[in-house]
Amino acid sequence: MIALKLCNEKRLYYIENCIRYLPQKAISQREFWQAGAELIGEYGPEADAEVICLALESLDKIGLKANIDIGSISVFKKIANHFNIKDIDRLRIAISSKSISEVKEIINNEEVLKIFSYVIENRGRIEILENIAKMNIHELYDDINYIEKLFDIIKDYGYYDRVVIDLSTLREMKYYNGIVFDIFIEGLGIPIGGGGRYDDMMKEFGLDLKATGFAINIDLIVKLIEKIPIKKERIINVYYKEGYLEKAIDIIKNMRNKGIKCSLSLYRGEKEGILISDNIIDLKTGEEINERNYISNSK
Amino acid sequence: MKGIILAIPSKGRLRKPVMEILERSNIKIIDDDSRVYLTNTTIKGLQILSVRTLDIPTYVYYGIADMGITGKDVIEECGLDVYEIADMKFGNCNLIVAVKEDSPYYDANQLPHGIRVATEFPNLTRRFFNNLGIHVEIITLRGAVEIAPILGLSDCIVDLSSTGETLRKNGLRAIATILRSSARLICNKVSYKTKYEDIKKIIDLLVKSCENINL
Repeated sequence: MIALKLCNEKRLYYIENCIRYLPQKAISQREFWQAGAELIGEYGPEADAEVICLALESLDKIGLKANIDIGSISVFKKIANHFNIKDIDRLRIAISSKSISEVKEIINNEEVLKIFSYVIENRGRIEILENIAKMNIHELYDDINYIEKLFDIIKDYGYYDRVVIDLSTLREMKYYNGIVFDIFIEGLGIPIGGGGRYDDMMKEFGLDLKATGFAINIDLIVKLIEKIPIKKERIINVYYKEGYLEKAIDIIKNMRNKGIKCSLSLYRGEKEGILISDNIIDLKTGEEINERNYISNSK
Repeated sequence: MKGIILAIPSKGRLRKPVMEILERSNIKIIDDDSRVYLTNTTIKGLQILSVRTLDIPTYVYYGIADMGITGKDVIEECGLDVYEIADMKFGNCNLIVAVKEDSPYYDANQLPHGIRVATEFPNLTRRFFNNLGIHVEIITLRGAVEIAPILGLSDCIVDLSSTGETLRKNGLRAIATILRSSARLICNKVSYKTKYEDIKKIIDLLVKSCENINL
């Protein structure tokens, strides 16, 4: 991936086994399957919206209705810098676990506590950011415009109902710098994926390129999909009377070309399926059928 | 209500105060039987899961239980990603480092490399000594940790202490506090979002019951 000459925007995807470092005795797996998509070389809400909606759409395609909560590293850093908070990474961890008692151990200023309590307790749309800006954090106006635009585009994609702002959604700050998000599905306790904007990461490889993307945990998805009952495909039993095999083969070849699944065997008095002799008979009803009509109806 | 499971300690020091909080919140367990782990309550849709305190973060992390009440010490030891909604202000205790009374050490910084530490909290112990840059050998025990130094199993211990009574009785002296603990209300990260209204009701009920009481 790094060897690619990334001059313009690139859209990449992968479905691979990933390996990560975990402390001893951690209960998660160190190796897992992950699917991801990255949009590299593009900045702006258009790119983030594309990635977010692609994540939802891909999950829709496999029958999983997911939701997304959006947070912002940029917003979080601006609030923290506004109040000169030193231990910013500890604060990030406290906020992402919605622990007000932990936040109180880091901050003892009432005004600041009020803002972070608001961040922890509220989910909603753009009004969340507007309300924080009203608490005299004027640095946030660029972010408000950005995220407002983001939601406009998400609406155009038709996913407005599935995306919510929860500013306690935060991720590793060395990697992410803009919006970040968690992907989750009702009934599954662990978020199945997430992502966000990481404009500084590519610099580590000598490329000055903005980037945004998401990843989904395939192992979790497999567990979910296993629970969905598989629709049994209909297979039509085609029988022939002795001497009519050639005609029957012609008919099933025609059916299979049209995408209809069928089996072929010699008629031994079966009660269901169709029977080929001089004419074609539906064994269930005993009625004669027209081949062309039958095929177009079966599709 | 969408169907919410609240995990509470089945035994241990937090069991009694938790039962008291439930009673104050007017949440009554139907058919209370200590052999049944999952029980219905007088609040329709709310079930109570009674399991070991140490397992509660695991049940909540995987979303088997939507919420749970357990100690801050246990949450930190497990290190699982859950929301920590409220400090319930009971079950206060400290995770401390203690040595034998006649030991020459008065601060954790003075402890030499290679000493043996007995504990029920191997992860927190490792993290604490790593931060101090002291290499220790950790011996994980499942209880009665205070006896280890006298018997010669370890040089010091990392254990919970609320009054210091057990330490004194076993000839031990605390030299450092690793963590201040109390009971916390935790919540599964996805349940919090997908069942917000029902969960908020239970949170408010429980948090209100914790106000101004001494348990």
